[in-house]
Amino acid sequence: MPANPRPRNRNLKKYLPRLFQYLILSLVTLIIIVPIVILLFDSLKTNGEMFLHPYTPPDIPQWGNYVHILTKSSFWVLMRNSLVVMAASTAGVLFVCSLAAFVFARMRFRGKDLAFNFLTLGLMFPITVAIMPVYLVIRQMHLTNTLIAVILVQTAFGISGNILILRGFFLAVPSELQDAASIDGCTAFGFFWRVLLPLVRPALAAVGALTMIVSWNDLLTPLVILDSENLWTLPLGTMQFQGQYSSDLALVAAFVAISSVPAILFYLFAERQIVTGLTAGALKG
Amino acid sequence: MSRKIYTILSLVLVGAFALAACGTAATSVPTQAPAATQPAAAPTTAPAATNTAAPKPVTINWWHISTADPGLSFWQGLANQYMSAHPNVTINITVLENEAFKTKLTTVLQSGNPPDVFQSWGGGDMNSQVEAGMLQDITPALDADNGAWRNTFSPGALSVYAYQGKNYGVPWDMGMVGFWYNKDLFTQAGITDTPATWTDFLADVKKLKAAGITPISLGEGDKWPGMHIWMYLATRIGGEAAFDAAYTQKGSFTDPPFVTAFQDLQQLIALQPFQPGYLSATHDDMEGYFGNGKAAMELTGQWGPSVEIADSADKKGVANLGFFNFPAVEGGVGKNTDVCGGGNGFAIGKNAPPEAIDFVKFLTSATNEAQMAKLGMGIPPVVGAESGLTDPNMLAVKQNVENATYFQLYYDQYLPPAMGSALNDSVQTIFAGTATPQQAAQAIEDSAKQNLK
Amino acid sequence: MEIAQAGREAPGPRQRTGIPRRTQDLLTITIFLAPAFILFLVFLVYPIFSSLYFSLFNWNGLGPAVDFIGLDNFKQILTDHVFMKAVGDCFLVVVLSLIVQLPLALALAIMVGRDLPGRAFFRAVFFMPYVLSEVITAIIWLGLFSADPARGLINALLIIIPGMQPQGFLSDIHQVLLCVFIVLSWKYFGLHMLLYMAGLQNIPKEIEEAAMIDGANRWQLTTNVTIPLLASTIRTTIYLSVLGSLTQFTLVWIMTKGGPVNASEFMATYMYRFGFVRFMLGYGSAVALVMLLICLFFSVVYLRIARQPDDLGGL
Repeated sequence: MPANPRPRNRNLKKYLPRLFQYLILSLVTLIIIVPIVILLFDSLKTNGEMFLHPYTPPDIPQWGNYVHILTKSSFWVLMRNSLVVMAASTAGVLFVCSLAAFVFARMRFRGKDLAFNFLTLGLMFPITVAIMPVYLVIRQMHLTNTLIAVILVQTAFGISGNILILRGFFLAVPSELQDAASIDGCTAFGFFWRVLLPLVRPALAAVGALTMIVSWNDLLTPLVILDSENLWTLPLGTMQFQGQYSSDLALVAAFVAISSVPAILFYLFAERQIVTGLTAGALKG
Repeated sequence: MSRKIYTILSLVLVGAFALAACGTAATSVPTQAPAATQPAAAPTTAPAATNTAAPKPVTINWWHISTADPGLSFWQGLANQYMSAHPNVTINITVLENEAFKTKLTTVLQSGNPPDVFQSWGGGDMNSQVEAGMLQDITPALDADNGAWRNTFSPGALSVYAYQGKNYGVPWDMGMVGFWYNKDLFTQAGITDTPATWTDFLADVKKLKAAGITPISLGEGDKWPGMHIWMYLATRIGGEAAFDAAYTQKGSFTDPPFVTAFQDLQQLIALQPFQPGYLSATHDDMEGYFGNGKAAMELTGQWGPSVEIADSADKKGVANLGFFNFPAVEGGVGKNTDVCGGGNGFAIGKNAPPEAIDFVKFLTSATNEAQMAKLGMGIPPVVGAESGLTDPNMLAVKQNVENATYFQLYYDQYLPPAMGSALNDSVQTIFAGTATPQQAAQAIEDSAKQNLK
Repeated sequence: MEIAQAGREAPGPRQRTGIPRRTQDLLTITIFLAPAFILFLVFLVYPIFSSLYFSLFNWNGLGPAVDFIGLDNFKQILTDHVFMKAVGDCFLVVVLSLIVQLPLALALAIMVGRDLPGRAFFRAVFFMPYVLSEVITAIIWLGLFSADPARGLINALLIIIPGMQPQGFLSDIHQVLLCVFIVLSWKYFGLHMLLYMAGLQNIPKEIEEAAMIDGANRWQLTTNVTIPLLASTIRTTIYLSVLGSLTQFTLVWIMTKGGPVNASEFMATYMYRFGFVRFMLGYGSAVALVMLLICLFFSVVYLRIARQPDDLGGL
C-alpha cells in the first residue's frame, strides 16, 4: 500500500514544475506570436472584411493584396536600396573592423590602449544621439540624398562595437601560430590575410550577420539623409506607405508582412551566427 | 554552418551589386572598400536623341499630396497627357501623405533642392520659403500677354500665393472650413435643423450623444484639425479686429476673445463629443471614421467630401452629406459671413525649368480645373471652371467664400511656421486637459513675441 | 606561379635591404588603423565639435549661421518643461526596464535553463521580435492598441471582461508611456533572454551540482549561485537596456510622435522634432549635445560601478 503513492508523489513533484514551466512559456509564446499571426490574417483580407471581422482568419485569402504590393508599389525599389546599403555597410564594417581589431589583438605599440579606448568610445554614442551633428556634416559634404552617405554613417557607427567583438575573437587565436608564421618569414599582413582571417571565418560571419540586421532595420539614418523616393530603404518606405495608405489597413498589413519576410528568412538561416555575434559581444568582450 | 552563412553573404553581396548596376540610383556603390569616399556618380543620362531637331529633354519633379483616388489618378492622368503632348518632358511624381510631405519638403529645402512643382498652402510657410530663396518668381509668366494667365484666376485666391506683390505659386483649389454632417445620423437623433448658434450646436451634440451617436470625428493627433475649431471660435468671438491686433502685436493672443474661445472649446470637450482615441487619431483616421458613418460631423475643408469617401472602408462614404457654416457665438463681434479656410496650390521651385511653369498652366487650365471640380476634389478658383461644380454643398462653399466679409487663411499656415506649430501644440493641450485657457493663450503669445516682429 | 613565388620571397630581400622590422610593423599599424580612425573622426568626433559650434546660434539651416546667441539654446532647453518631461520619460522607461523587463527575461532564461526539451524552439520564438525592424513592430502594435475595439485586439479582449470599458491606450496621456514600454519589452526581452541563456551555458554544471549536494534547494541555487555567476552578463544587459531606453526613437516616433501633448516624449523624439521637423538646427544641435552628455554621464557612472570596461560589447 505505501509503496504505491510514493512514486506517484515523486512523479507529481517532478512533473508539476515542468507543467508550470511549459504553461508560462506557452503564454509568452502566445504573446509573441499572436500579433504576428493577426498581421498575416489582416494582410489577406479585403478592407471591408477588416472592419467586420478584424481578428479572424480571412474568409477567402486575398492574395491580390500581395500581388498589388509586389507589382504596383515601389517595393522592389525599396528592396534594392536596402540590399545595396546593407551589403555595402556590412562589407565596410568587416573590412574596417577586422583590420583594426587585428592591430589591437596582435601588434604591440605605444599608445595602443589609448587608441583602443578612443575607438570604443563610440559605444557610448548610439547613432540616435549623434544623428543631428552627423546630418550637419553630411550636409557640409554635399552628400545628402545619397546612398553612400547612409552607408558611410552606418559603417562609422558600427566600428566601436565590432572592433571589440572581433578583437575578442582574434585574441582567442593562439599566439604560437603567429610566432611560427613570423619565423617562416611571414609579414604581419601576410599572417593576417593568409592565416588569421581564414581561422576566424565564423567570427566574421557573426559580425556580418549582426551588422546586416542593424543596417537592414535602420530607419533614422535613411530618414534624415534620403529625400528621393527612388533612394528610400525598406523601413523608410514602409513608414511612408503606412502614412499614405493609413485607411487601407489590409494593404498596409500586406506591405508590412512582405517587408518582414527577408528579415525572418535571414534569421532562420543565420540564427547561429546572429546568436554567436550577440553573445560574443556581451560575454567575451 | 559558417560556410552556409558565407554562401548567403556572398550571394547577397553579389545580388545587391547586380541590382545596383541595373538601377539608375543617383549614387555609385563602392565595389571594394566603402571607407574610400567615392563621389556620387552622375545618373545615367538618356542616350543622345537621334533627332537633333527635337527639343532638349527636360525633367519636372512634381510633389503632390493626393494619396488616394480620385486625386491620385487625376494628377497622374494629367501628367501623362502633358508628357504625350510634349515628348521631351518627363514628369517625376512623388506622392506623399500630408504630414510626411511637410517633413520631407523641409529637408529638401534645407539641402537647397526644392522640387520643381510642389503642393503649397501659401501664407507664412510659403513666405519663409521665399525668404530662403527657394521659390521662383512667376509674376512675369502670369503677366505675359496682358496678364492672360493672371486673369484666369480669382484675384483673392491668387494673392494667397503672393509675397510682397510677387507670385511664387498659383492656386488650384480655394475653399473654406465648415461642418460636414451626416444627414441620416442627424435625423436619427431627431435634429431637424442645422445649428445657428454655439448654444444650439452644443444642444445638438448632446442630442446625438443621447442617441448613441458619436457627434464629431476629430484627428487631433495631427493637431491642426482641432485647431480649426478654436480658430473659428476666436473668429466668431473677436472678429477680424481681434486677430489683427494680436498679429500686429498691438494687442495680444491673451486678449479676452482668444481666452474665451479656449473656454468655449473646453465646454465642447467636456461633453466628450469625439470618437474614442481622437487624441492620437490622424486626419485620415478622422475622415475614415466619418466616412464609415460612425460620427455625425466633422469640421474640415472643401476636401472633406472626397477624402472621407477615399478613407471609408467601402469607398462610398457618407450617403447623405450636408454642409453648414460654423455657428455664431452669442455675444461675439465676428459676423457669420466671416470665413476661415484656404486652399491648395502649387509652388514653383527655384531651379524649375520654364516647362514646369507651362505644366502648371496646363494643370490649372479651365478644362482641367472643371474636371477637378467634377471629381469633388476641390473648388476651382479659375474662371470658366465653375461648370464642373455641380454638387450643391460645394456650390454653397463657393458662395460662402465669394461673399465672405472677412477671409482668414488657416492660422497655422498664415503665421510663420514656428509659430504655427506652437499654436497647434497649445490648442492640443486644451484637448488633453493639461493646460488652462490662460496658459494655452500665454504659450501662443510667447511664441508670437519670438516670431512676429 | 612565378609571381606567387616572388611574393613569398619578398619579405626576405626586404629585410636584407635594411627596412627594419619595426618600421614595417609601424607601417602596417598605420595603414590598418587608418580607415577606422578616419571614419571615426569624420563621422563621430568632428560632428560633435561642429555641433558644439552651431549650438551657439539661432540657425534655421537656410544660409550660414550668423545669429550668435551664446548659451541661450542651452538655457532654453534646460528650462523647457517639455524637454524635462522627455528626460523624465526616458528615465521612467529605464527604471521600468530594469525592474520589469530584465528580471522577466532572466526568469524565463532560468526557466528554459540548459536542458528543457523545446529549448531551441522557445529561444527562436522569443528572439524573433528582435529581428523584426522597429518600423514593423510599431505598425503592428499601432493596430493592436487601437482605441476602437473593432480595430484593436487588446480593447476587444478587454471588453469581454464584464464591467470593463475600452481604453484609450496610445491616445490616453496617462497610459501611452506604459504602452510604449510594453512594446519595447515585447521587442527586446528576447535579446536579453538570449544573452542570459548564453551566460548560463558558460556556468560549469559541476558548480550547480555541488551546491545541490550541499543541500541547496532550487530557489537558493538560483539566488546564491546562478545569478551571482551571471553578474557580468547582467551588467551588460543593464548597460544595453539603459542606453537603448535613453536613445529610443523609431518605435516612439511611429507609434505616438511623442504625443499626445508630449505624454510619451523621449529625448530623441524631442531632438528630432526641433532638429528635423521644425529645422531649428542650432537648437537641435544643443539638444543633441545635452543628450550626449547624459549618455556620457551614465556610461562613466556605469564604468565606475562595473569597473569592467570590457563588458561594453554587444551593441
